[in-house]
Amino acid sequence: MATSNNVVRWTTLVLRVVLGGIFVYAAWAKLRLPWQLFAMSIDSYQLLPTPVVELLAKTLPWFELALGLVLIAGWWLRISSTIVSALLLVFFSLMVRAAIKHQEISCGCFGPGETISWKTMLRDGSMLAGSLFVTAMAFVSRRRSWGRLQPAEDFSPTPRQSG
Amino acid sequence: MRFAFLALAVVMAAGAADNGKTLGNPTAPIRIEIYSDFACPACRTFHEQTLPMIVRDYVMSGKVAIVNREFPLNIPAHKHSREAAAYATAAGRLGIYQPVADALFRAQDSWNETGKVWETVASVLSAEQQKKVQTIMKDPTVAAEVQRDVDAGTKEKINSTPSIFLIRGAQRLPIPTPVNYGFLRSLIDGYLK
Repeated sequence: MATSNNVVRWTTLVLRVVLGGIFVYAAWAKLRLPWQLFAMSIDSYQLLPTPVVELLAKTLPWFELALGLVLIAGWWLRISSTIVSALLLVFFSLMVRAAIKHQEISCGCFGPGETISWKTMLRDGSMLAGSLFVTAMAFVSRRRSWGRLQPAEDFSPTPRQSG
Repeated sequence: MRFAFLALAVVMAAGAADNGKTLGNPTAPIRIEIYSDFACPACRTFHEQTLPMIVRDYVMSGKVAIVNREFPLNIPAHKHSREAAAYATAAGRLGIYQPVADALFRAQDSWNETGKVWETVASVLSAEQQKKVQTIMKDPTVAAEVQRDVDAGTKEKINSTPSIFLIRGAQRLPIPTPVNYGFLRSLIDGYLK
């Protein structure tokens, strides 16, 4: 039992660090180039109005960078992993939508120049699965730690009733 | 659009380094390289909608040069693409790449369906030009030139058309398509500052 717990713990740790690393790399790949290139990638999905595209192109890479670093550090794990999962779910859904609509567009995942294909979908799908696992484990471990706290709460002083 | 290309005759680098496929000042600080397939609808959209704006805003003033590259896709629906690319390449050697490219894109649906590529090309050429293009077409270096473009595109890992690159010095940036001209303009302006 302890061995399987260790395996899960190590798997979660590795996935968390790898995902964080991928997010940091994705952010760097976009930030090293002019924001207009990422804007054109977002725009190619033909989903959002131009001002929103511009805002996203300028802010999303920084958000990805922050998320990646927080994930690697393991801070606020339930919140950060949930946001990463939600973000990956959005990215993956957009890719599937583009594939269904036969749009031959740049995925924009790691900068320009990578057209959406089954490879990009497999990669993002795997990242999403990994992220969901990390998120689930973050919540499970929280519940376990609550479980461990339970006896301590039993010893907490109970308020006396006056009167 | 035609006006832009007619006026462009002034700045056209016909017969220059790229066998008449370069539009504008060959020493421009920015080059935009376009790999396209004459049977591809997205290439047509780019050629007819976005390219004229780039020409008007940057090519005419010598700030940007357009380099046309052939990338006929090897798929059954585009079975006449390579022939079209060869005709355009041959026309390029006479300095008339652009009118032929315009005609091929304009009548894309027609020749792609009927296979009457030459008829489309001939419609924008004088009798003398037709003769010259037909003579040049017999030269095996025309097909070799098309293949050179395809090989270069394959090396760039191109798998769809149009594939566009913005080249500035040693920097080579792939431009996501369909191109949002507002963002492209902002990018070029940023580089030209």
